Amino acid sequence: MENLCIEQTKSTPTIQFDVANNKLRIAGQSYPENAFKFYEPIFNWLDQYMAEIDRETVLEIYFHMPYINTSSSKCIMMLLEKMENAYQEGRKVAIQWYYNREDESALECAEEFKEDLLLPFTIVVLDDE
Amino acid sequence: MNLNLLDLQRSLQKNGVLITFSGRFTQEIIEELGDAVRKYMETESTQYKTHDVFAVFIEQTQNAKNYASCQSEFAYGERIANSGIVAIGKDEQGYFVSSGNMIVSDDVGPLKEKLAMIASLDKIGLKKLYKEQMKKTFDSESNGAGLGLIDMARRASGQLQYSIQDIDGQVSFFTLKVQV
Repeated sequence: MENLCIEQTKSTPTIQFDVANNKLRIAGQSYPENAFKFYEPIFNWLDQYMAEIDRETVLEIYFHMPYINTSSSKCIMMLLEKMENAYQEGRKVAIQWYYNREDESALECAEEFKEDLLLPFTIVVLDDE
Repeated sequence: MNLNLLDLQRSLQKNGVLITFSGRFTQEIIEELGDAVRKYMETESTQYKTHDVFAVFIEQTQNAKNYASCQSEFAYGERIANSGIVAIGKDEQGYFVSSGNMIVSDDVGPLKEKLAMIASLDKIGLKKLYKEQMKKTFDSESNGAGLGLIDMARRASGQLQYSIQDIDGQVSFFTLKVQV
């Protein structure tokens, strides 16, 4: 399976799916014109990946999203629910959600996503560079 | 000279308007204005407030734009698409984001119902409603998730303020003001 790589734009995050290392990274703001259209290939890619990899492999997903509009939030929730279902079926998934220390809104957003999920979900604070 | 820019400017200043745009919303215009809003706010206010003002601005303009795209095939499509306006400003109560656009008069009833339902909820109720709406399947008809108004109500310091003015029986003008 090939890596998935989508470059960042002003309103869409960068997507880096590193198959060899089982890491998916989503970083940047998200408020595209059509969120579902943007995230749909990622959902499809994830489905294919989950079907192909070994059940014991741990998929790590890194998020660093300072701003997410409502329709993108819904897509992120869909992605997380997909992972939650996989986790409930015994698959190995770990979420790491990064936010900048002074960005309280991003922390609240991460906490709200985490609330309804049982999968390993770590919120990590980043200090200013 | 018919257009008196000085009058227009005085009116904007009197109402505390800092940034405004009138016309057809495109994703590019939303992104550029959004940057301007954020840069302005960063020099003026806290990061938290900047985030909320930016978020409300994005939800309002994308709502108006999505509504216009849904109407584009119908009789009032052009009028609706060209009727967008947004203003970011500051008054006695703090920062506000106001937006306006035409809507088909048939949509007035359902919109009022939705706004009344939102107005009846406190922050906890709004969060619950937001989460419920989040779990619904995507409405493929529109680009939206049906979350914009609820999200704005959650960020607003008070109630969402709105007015709906009938224009000619066919279309009405919807104005929404969110105090952040």
